[in-house]
Amino acid sequence: MKKILAVTACPTGVAHTYMAAESLIKAAKEKNIPLKVETRGAVGVENEFTEQEIAEAHAIIVAADTDVLESRFAGKPVVKVAVAQAIKNPAGLLEEALAKQASAPVDFAKQVEQSKSERSAARSGPYKHLMTGVSHMLPLVVAGGLLIALSFIFGIEAFKVEGTFAAALMKIGGGSAFALMVPVLAGFISFSIAEKPGLAPGLIGGMLASSIGAGFLGGILAGFLAGYTALFLKKNIKLPRNLEGLKPILLIPLLASAFTGLMMIYVIGEPVKAIMDGLTAWLTGLGTTNAVLLGLLLGAMMAFDMGGPVNKAAYTFAVGLLGSEVYGPMAAVMAAGMTPPLGLFLATLLAKNKFTKEERDAGKSASILGISFITEGAIPFAAGDPFRVIPSIMVGSAITGALSMAFGATLRAPHGGVFVLPIPNAVSHLGLYALAIVIGTVVTAVMLSVLKKPVEQRNQA
Amino acid sequence: MNINALLDEKAIFIPLTSTDKNSIIANMIDGLAASGSVSNKEAYMDAVLTRESTGSTGIGFSVAIPHGKSSGVAKAGLAFAKLSTPTDWQSLDGEPVKVVFMIAVPEAAEGNEHLKILIALSRKLIDSEFREKLMAVEHSDQLKSLLATIE
Repeated sequence: MKKILAVTACPTGVAHTYMAAESLIKAAKEKNIPLKVETRGAVGVENEFTEQEIAEAHAIIVAADTDVLESRFAGKPVVKVAVAQAIKNPAGLLEEALAKQASAPVDFAKQVEQSKSERSAARSGPYKHLMTGVSHMLPLVVAGGLLIALSFIFGIEAFKVEGTFAAALMKIGGGSAFALMVPVLAGFISFSIAEKPGLAPGLIGGMLASSIGAGFLGGILAGFLAGYTALFLKKNIKLPRNLEGLKPILLIPLLASAFTGLMMIYVIGEPVKAIMDGLTAWLTGLGTTNAVLLGLLLGAMMAFDMGGPVNKAAYTFAVGLLGSEVYGPMAAVMAAGMTPPLGLFLATLLAKNKFTKEERDAGKSASILGISFITEGAIPFAAGDPFRVIPSIMVGSAITGALSMAFGATLRAPHGGVFVLPIPNAVSHLGLYALAIVIGTVVTAVMLSVLKKPVEQRNQA
Repeated sequence: MNINALLDEKAIFIPLTSTDKNSIIANMIDGLAASGSVSNKEAYMDAVLTRESTGSTGIGFSVAIPHGKSSGVAKAGLAFAKLSTPTDWQSLDGEPVKVVFMIAVPEAAEGNEHLKILIALSRKLIDSEFREKLMAVEHSDQLKSLLATIE
């Protein structure tokens, strides 16, 4: 449904401002148009628009004789009239607003950016700490994974021959980048919790997790442990004024690192190593049926909230496994993350009459986001029609994930979308992998095309 | 909402026999001065006429709401007039006006309570049922009971 915003304002601010508002609200109700009215009167601003509301609005009616901060609406279609007009002809104004051409596709990308940054800002607590760790770890995994793949150009075992270029690539990618993966994950989880004092114990804990073989799971635990320990020490150690400086430089690093380290070695390390070993063994030995089920699950998770916590859980799981040399889930996860925006784009092509011009333009932008593995490209569509879009993308992604696992596709890099596919050895079973992505895209597109009502019928929904 | 706190008997004119816009406004301002709302008639009149010139306050539906914000207003107040002769007000819908609400708003912010009352009244004027009852008012008590129904 097209949402309209209206802002009313008049100089005295007691009469016309509110009568215009009432008039518009009444007319909107009669026509069943979603409308929000911001009033700027003598008692101040009421019902002020949020950035989100402005971004999601189809058009904005400015019925004002005074300033209403129009710069907020840059890029959106605006119907500007004197405030009395809204009292005289509210229905006409609403019609005019509805008829306005939609914003350019450029704004779609901006909308997605905004969704992403709002989600980022809204994260709090342990989830935020985990994501901070993951986001700092990612470049290491990308660089490391791709460099390792590149070393395989010279042959799968080529790196074993000392002094070769392949060996150098493997040393950079596997020996250095990948080796830093878990310590950095732990270090930045801890940093997110306790700031600078948390960094050292986190890095150390992560390094131990890595050397003990407790993998990314151990790293996550080490990160939280180090972080909350450092935080606890930060808050509870009280020192006389002139010794305060010793806290972040000596006491906290020493005590937090010692505590975290000892916990890792004597308590956490071995059990988590056992879990990771078991998990790795299970994943590498997956029979086809279980692999397919895992792929289905991961795929559905990726599409469920397109970049939200469930999606990120599946993603983090897959990325973490790269450090343990398990590459199948990563392939499934990336493929399943590409099909929602791609499927939506295809749907706008297949069923043109069921999408407004606005949506068809947005579809083109979504296609670019889809091939780049930016699942969030599907969010604006899902927000507008969740009960049809979300099931469609979940089914498509689940099928893609299942197929990817069934075909045995593996992926060594945690991101890059279509751009990473041509890199030699980054992906195995490339043809079948691409097929899995195509099939999921088509399934999503067809399902949505069938479910969607033609545009004329939409307003009765 | 106590609208009637802002509406004094001396500012209610049922009926008002003046037949042109300016004398109607002048008479109503006299009423507001008598009730203690307006302290400087010229200053307030100026504000009202200025507002009128920026855009007619004849909002259509036979209703006009002249208003002004001025230092000549001691406290927020309302005046009401039911015209014996429908008068031209250059209204938005081109129709003559039968009922006039005049609103006096003080310059300095004296707290939003009174403003909220005036705002509530303005909003209510968009309601056609309310307007019909307003047109039918014959006596100031009827007016007061009608206004008391505004939340």
